[in-house]
Amino acid sequence: MPMKGVLKRYVSLLAFVAPAFILYAIFLLIPTIGGMYYSFTDWNGLNTNYQFIGLDNFVEALKDDPDFVHSLLFTLKYVLYMLVLQNVIALLLAVLIESRSKSKGFFRTIFFMPNMISIIISAFMWTFVFTQVLPQLAEKTMFTFLDQSWVGDPKFSFYAILIISLWNGVGYMMIIYLAGLQGVPQSLMEAAIIDGANPLQRFMKVTLPMITHAITICFFLTLNGAFKVFEVVYGFTGGGPGRSTQVITMNIYEEAFSNNFRYGYASAKSVILFIIVLIFTLIQIAVMKRKEVEA
Amino acid sequence: MRNRSASSLFITLFLTIGAAISFFPIYMAIANSFKTQGEMFQSFVALPSAPTFDNYVQAFHKINMLSSTLNSVIVSVLGIGGIVFCAALAGYKLSRTPGKASAAIFFLFVASMLVPFHSIMIPLTRMANSLSVQGTTYGLALIYIGLGVNMAVFLYHGFVKSIPRELEEAAHMDGCGEFQTFFRIIFPLLLPITVTIAILDFLWIWNDFLLPMLMLTDSDHYTLILSTNTLFGEYNKEWTLILASLVLTAIPVIIIYAFFQRFIMEGITEGAVKG
Repeated sequence: MPMKGVLKRYVSLLAFVAPAFILYAIFLLIPTIGGMYYSFTDWNGLNTNYQFIGLDNFVEALKDDPDFVHSLLFTLKYVLYMLVLQNVIALLLAVLIESRSKSKGFFRTIFFMPNMISIIISAFMWTFVFTQVLPQLAEKTMFTFLDQSWVGDPKFSFYAILIISLWNGVGYMMIIYLAGLQGVPQSLMEAAIIDGANPLQRFMKVTLPMITHAITICFFLTLNGAFKVFEVVYGFTGGGPGRSTQVITMNIYEEAFSNNFRYGYASAKSVILFIIVLIFTLIQIAVMKRKEVEA
Repeated sequence: MRNRSASSLFITLFLTIGAAISFFPIYMAIANSFKTQGEMFQSFVALPSAPTFDNYVQAFHKINMLSSTLNSVIVSVLGIGGIVFCAALAGYKLSRTPGKASAAIFFLFVASMLVPFHSIMIPLTRMANSLSVQGTTYGLALIYIGLGVNMAVFLYHGFVKSIPRELEEAAHMDGCGEFQTFFRIIFPLLLPITVTIAILDFLWIWNDFLLPMLMLTDSDHYTLILSTNTLFGEYNKEWTLILASLVLTAIPVIIIYAFFQRFIMEGITEGAVKG
């Protein structure tokens, strides 16, 4: 009888979990494992013959592939800028919007709206603004600094890419910060006011500690999203000029789908991306969790 | 008191300028999409003097607006429906079943949430190819289910804990089978988290670009975003046409935003807090 009960429990578990697990295994789990497996081989994607070459692919990517290393550094720089700017701007907007009474809903609607538009569509819209509108605006007004080679010069492209990403992404974080701010108890604020704390002190000593959870989430989301940046760059510069604005995902994409059928090598690059995201995420979670406990 | 209203005015001014900047590209796209190419180059910022719908008529045909939208709808509806169905079943059962097997499966789902899509796109493409699901809208929806269930399982798993077990036990006493209990009693109670999941997945699937680009080759199956991408590549300098197509592509999500704004914002917050 107990034996039969255990069996029945497993059958019922299987019946409920199978639909999700099968699709998950086919399209996520097996590809993940397969990618890791091929990253240690010299497979070209076509031949049935391939050899294990150990860590050669990884060594080559990090040592002998300047384009890949450049894309890696470019992405890291992008991630750092995004992490700071996206969160600072989103939090600033959230705090200011939360302080409004009548216009709160209006501003929230406007600032979140860009987030609804697909990133690739955003990139096309901004391409128009950067390549057509701004040069003319510079010509007709005194804002001559607007006339830059936004697409042609990687130095300026970087900032343009940042602006597009922020335009698209800030709204999402702002919503999360707004929800966090609403969780700050009014009584604490009033107590701080009575104690004579100025607005800045109130923000630093009361608001910030009360919304650490929201900060953790937004840092996590920004970090995760920024490492995977693809569409903005694809739509705006296409990685160019040359490969100067190529991000890591584009480098993998190019390696795998456009030129030389080095599946094993491209897989190794994919694994490197995975490891980097994993390390940064774990560090971030560890640091933030400790902060949250303290607060 | 005067000091306070002055700073209040300053904040409103600051937000208004920010909102104007934020809205600027959208305004640019809309305003210029109603102009002729000649009028546009005279001034980008000015409102169109004699609005023309020519660009829209052209763009509507060039991106196969109706069939592209239909494709996007099919992929989104099937994808979201599949994710909700599969993940609700699995999340519920995993949450209710003690033991190592259940915990191990749940761990697999959760751990995979950290895998970046770009890390698996190569083997995934090959997998889709060998299963012949590449190239069709239905196949694409199937892949979205496979990629999306992990987060949904995680959210359902957490939510189920708040539902008292007594309900199921009572249903069981009344002779309800397990699946019957789930669909009649439990699933309706999961509605709040189902809405959250549906919204997050809609924003993801509808706006996604890379996966459809890798999977769909025939332009008859293109989603809205993919069709617009093709148009952008082909009509490099015809900005009025491109802008009209961008506006057309944005219209469905803006309509949904207008109607469901509250749900979308709550969904994001809910998903983020639980995640």
